[in-house]
Amino acid sequence: MTPMLALVSSDVTTAVVDGAAFSWLGWTLALPAISAVLCTLCALLKVPGKLPAMLTVASLGASFALVLQFYQQMPATPITIHLAEWMSFSWGPTDFHALQAPLALYIDRLTVFWMLFVTGLGTLIALYASEYMEADVKSGYARFFAGVSIFLFSMTALVMGGNLLLLYLGWEGVGLASYLLIGYYYTRPAAVAAAKKAFIVNRIGDLGLALGLFLTWRCYGTIEFSELFSRIASAPSNAPWDEALIPYLFMLGAFGKSAQIPLYVWLPDAMEGPTPVSALIHAATMVTAGVYLIARMYPIFLVQPDALVVVAWVGGSTALLAATIGMAQFDLKRVWAYSTISQLGYMFLGLGVGTTFGACYHTFTHAFFKALLFLTAGAVMHGFAGQLDLRHLSGLRRVPGFRLVSWLALLGCLWLAAIPFSAAYFSKDTILATALGSDRADFRFLGWMGLFTAGLTAYYTFRIWFRVFAGPVHFVPGNDSHDADHAHAKFHPHGPRWAIRLPLILIAIGAVLSGLPGYIETFAHKENWAQWMIAGSSAVEGAGLSHGGHAEHADHGHLVLGMDAHKAASLLSGILGAIGIGIAFWIHLARRSAADSIRRTIEHTPLIGWIPRAAERKWYVDEVYHAAFRMPLWMTAHVLHFIDKHIVDAGVVDGIGRAPASLGRVFRPLYGGALQSYAVTMAGGIGLILVWLVWNWVRGVH
Amino acid sequence: MSAAWITILAPLLGALLIGLSPAKAARWIALSVSGVALAAILQLVMNFPGWKSGLFESEANPVPFLPEFGITLWLGYDSVAIMLALLNAVLVPLCVLGSFSAIREREREYYAWFMVLSASIMLAFASRDAILFYIGYEFTLVPMVFLIAIWGGPERKSAATKYFLYTFFGSIFVLGAILWLGVSMHAATGVWNFDIDALIAYGQSLPASTQWWLFLCLAGGFAVKVPIFQLHTWLPLAHDQAPTGGSVILAGTLLKLGTYGIFRIALPCAPEGAVALAPFFAVLCVIAVVYASLICWVQRDVKRLIAYSSIGHLALCVLGLFAFNPIGAEGSVYYMVNHGISTGALFLCIGMVYERYHTKDMERLGGLVKRMPIWAFFMGLFTFASLGLPGLNGFVGEVLCLMGTFIADSGSTPDNYPGVLGPWYATVAASGLVLAAMYLLIMLGKIVWGPLTEPHDDHHAPSGLSVDLNWREIGVLAPLAVLCLWLGLAPGYVLSNLEPACTRMLAPFPAIVQAHIAADVQTAHDSEKEQN
Repeated sequence: MTPMLALVSSDVTTAVVDGAAFSWLGWTLALPAISAVLCTLCALLKVPGKLPAMLTVASLGASFALVLQFYQQMPATPITIHLAEWMSFSWGPTDFHALQAPLALYIDRLTVFWMLFVTGLGTLIALYASEYMEADVKSGYARFFAGVSIFLFSMTALVMGGNLLLLYLGWEGVGLASYLLIGYYYTRPAAVAAAKKAFIVNRIGDLGLALGLFLTWRCYGTIEFSELFSRIASAPSNAPWDEALIPYLFMLGAFGKSAQIPLYVWLPDAMEGPTPVSALIHAATMVTAGVYLIARMYPIFLVQPDALVVVAWVGGSTALLAATIGMAQFDLKRVWAYSTISQLGYMFLGLGVGTTFGACYHTFTHAFFKALLFLTAGAVMHGFAGQLDLRHLSGLRRVPGFRLVSWLALLGCLWLAAIPFSAAYFSKDTILATALGSDRADFRFLGWMGLFTAGLTAYYTFRIWFRVFAGPVHFVPGNDSHDADHAHAKFHPHGPRWAIRLPLILIAIGAVLSGLPGYIETFAHKENWAQWMIAGSSAVEGAGLSHGGHAEHADHGHLVLGMDAHKAASLLSGILGAIGIGIAFWIHLARRSAADSIRRTIEHTPLIGWIPRAAERKWYVDEVYHAAFRMPLWMTAHVLHFIDKHIVDAGVVDGIGRAPASLGRVFRPLYGGALQSYAVTMAGGIGLILVWLVWNWVRGVH
Repeated sequence: MSAAWITILAPLLGALLIGLSPAKAARWIALSVSGVALAAILQLVMNFPGWKSGLFESEANPVPFLPEFGITLWLGYDSVAIMLALLNAVLVPLCVLGSFSAIREREREYYAWFMVLSASIMLAFASRDAILFYIGYEFTLVPMVFLIAIWGGPERKSAATKYFLYTFFGSIFVLGAILWLGVSMHAATGVWNFDIDALIAYGQSLPASTQWWLFLCLAGGFAVKVPIFQLHTWLPLAHDQAPTGGSVILAGTLLKLGTYGIFRIALPCAPEGAVALAPFFAVLCVIAVVYASLICWVQRDVKRLIAYSSIGHLALCVLGLFAFNPIGAEGSVYYMVNHGISTGALFLCIGMVYERYHTKDMERLGGLVKRMPIWAFFMGLFTFASLGLPGLNGFVGEVLCLMGTFIADSGSTPDNYPGVLGPWYATVAASGLVLAAMYLLIMLGKIVWGPLTEPHDDHHAPSGLSVDLNWREIGVLAPLAVLCLWLGLAPGYVLSNLEPACTRMLAPFPAIVQAHIAADVQTAHDSEKEQN
């Protein structure tokens, strides 16, 4: 471990510069906050029209511009910007446990990397939503954009916050935004339940984050990043048990927010929210907060390498599990939700096997193509009155107005399937190559598992595209016609207008461009831009477990099938992807009846007959959780309530209360049991005492 | 006349005036005298010397009241007392304003009793004399009992009886302990003195075994008022049955009399006892967090749910006090104020719905955001404040109490403030974060979101109120909403002002805790030796 630690200390603890000159960056925090307040006022005052959307788009756009501006003059070392006081304590002679939690920003390249796609995609998706949500202009339009603004404010605080408490504020704040937006269609009980579930499951993770924060503060005496990393680096490497616990607690938080096993169950339900929300919050940005957290706290994980092994295993298993569920879903958005969980699993696998660069780069590419996929799904939903069932949609590329959407969806699908030379091909293969080329056998196993998952991903992705966008034209509109005159008989799907098309095109361009660093790395043999962006940050690259020092090119790694890991990962994932797409093509486009007959065959085969149904029912994980956790707790609650009401209160308390009553018969005239007389007696008693006191006082004065 | 006196005498005078004037004027008199009290205390807050000194600061010298026994009329605040007095001064006019439409019968009596209640709470917070404090503390019972018994819900009689007898029972121990302290100090020094500071000084000089009993009596007595786990059963009933204004004051400031008593009298009078008994009380608090939160989960009645949530919240608040370090103590005091604001505001919100629909049953109400979006906004805001969302006020107190407890042990704590609790207490208590989210969001999901459900019974006369909140009701909630945001986003100002008083209260503790830990180590060492 010593060389790694040396690496950490040399890279991360380079003097943190005071960035007072950049205090204008505080506006990235202030603008969405102002927009949130104004949108809330619009909602309360029932301001009609699209003003809230304009406010939000303008403030997010300005935020993005500020981040870009900063990117161009970014200093090499991390900077801190002190904006205002928030929560600070100093006590006693030493400042070891002085709690310093000011409203301060800690900005290194990792921060800027995240902020670039958060604010960029935020702006575009808000623009998209301005049209998508227009049917609600008279009802929830302002409320929606207030939620989006709260989200962007919180996400900014999460990413740019200079201490763990501010990060926690953002962390909970994005949870609030998520709650408000998932529950946007509040008259639907499913939406309300999903919102509640998202917040509560996340709170379990948040508990881990909070305890991690407490323990960090206890062990290192600070929660400010600028101080923390140098203290970690100078701490002894054989951590006592409480220090060793910190990464596990943070991990729990990350698994909650980023929907990993065991806390992933909220994300599929979160698709009850409007689609732009699913794209922005539940695919591109918020759910990457867990990846960010671990990348940000990577020095703490390096102190405790076993924690990274857990991260790798959880990530790899989640990727596989979610992919198997995704294969069996019929709801377009749910498939993308499970694919998000699966792709996030890859990112955690990357973090675990030590390629923070791979994880961050995959986060970046994933943000674009997954946002694209969700937004195309949203365009379909918008045009077909909420229809999302892929059994009721077919051949959309031939429906007027949906040609562009279909081709952009194809782009997204190709990227998600990580076909060679797409953006995800570079980013995912970095992760897989690192795992495959690892010195550790279990990481190599996870690498193979990841390859297998890549095949499944290609299959379920193209299952969607071939079903929905290709094939003969056929569709059944959904139930929520937002225009009253859209009766089913004369239903015309309406194609999107510019405010949906423009963001779609721009995000598609972004998705294409996000592969550029990979091209340059692969063909021009220059440093990957994403790698450069996280260099010098706390997510220091090349300090993982797989290799002693250099993970980026896997040069010294294990040979896989006689090839170097990178080449093997590219080749194998390409082949498996092609097989996946091929199968999808065969059973979902060329011979659609084959899908049903295969399913029927499997269902009638003994031993494996239950699998398709179980996968469709998400392997019954929700049911198991319900039976294992919620039910017992709920029953305990009822038992406690009974005890409280009937034993503690009615039994003990009233029993004691009644005991003197028998005695009190003597004083019946005074304490007749009627309540007022108690009080009157007491008031009288106190009155007498007062009179006596006053009389004494008067006497004393004289 | 000093401001402290105005805060007490103005409401009392108001009560008298209300008795003499026509019923229509009652509410306006109540509103204006409570406004006067608020203005008086605000004027004091603006240039209060106690912020920095951490001492009790009086504007006047003690007036001998009963010189034979050293009882004086001596009012003054330290920064903790003035914060809680300010909280009361803010809540009372809002409650009066909120009661305009809720109270339609025997208005004069209602507002008169309300003013008496306010005066006696103010007296308790402003007293520098222990007997005077006790008079205020105890006298709150009388007006409160009338408020519950006359304007309360269907079970008001039994609620009022239980509230009265139960808390009266607890107070006996407090009174006994205070009197015993005074008497034994007189026996020891020959001087009668009930000045709280003098009692504290004397209490600290007592042997540890005496302090143990003393602390048990004092803290046990105050524990009924807080209420601490297993002494709490009066609370759900009383909160539930009280009229809205009564519930607000009950949760907002009356419960704080208990925590304030622990902070002001029990802890400093008997620090040895406090240290010895801290694990005991802390365990009760930790259990209460889980226990009360789980019970909240299965409530059908919104008001009762909020009432039970107070038990869990205040348990956390008391836990912070037993951390014996400034972060826990300041967090605890901050939490007292914040709980008053957010829970008080929740009771007000529920009262507003009750006035419109005559039910608090969550099964009969649903999707009210459709009818009352402005109300829903406030309800949501206060709910999230109550479940400790960072950026709102509840979070600050909660996280500080937890952090204070988390480091309160002998291990890695800074040498200056060791404690006898530690991470495990904080970890179990922190599970309240999840549980609170659970029951509060279930509540929100039932009454604010979901399909619109309104009870349709024609038995009740229409409330005569607008569908959504009217300007008066917005005026009641808006100041509290602003406070929620302000105290959540800029806690530094208040916290730094609380610090001197908290460190002063904690001054004797580090040495005692150190000795306590050393003794424990010694005992463990000895028993090890014996085994060998």
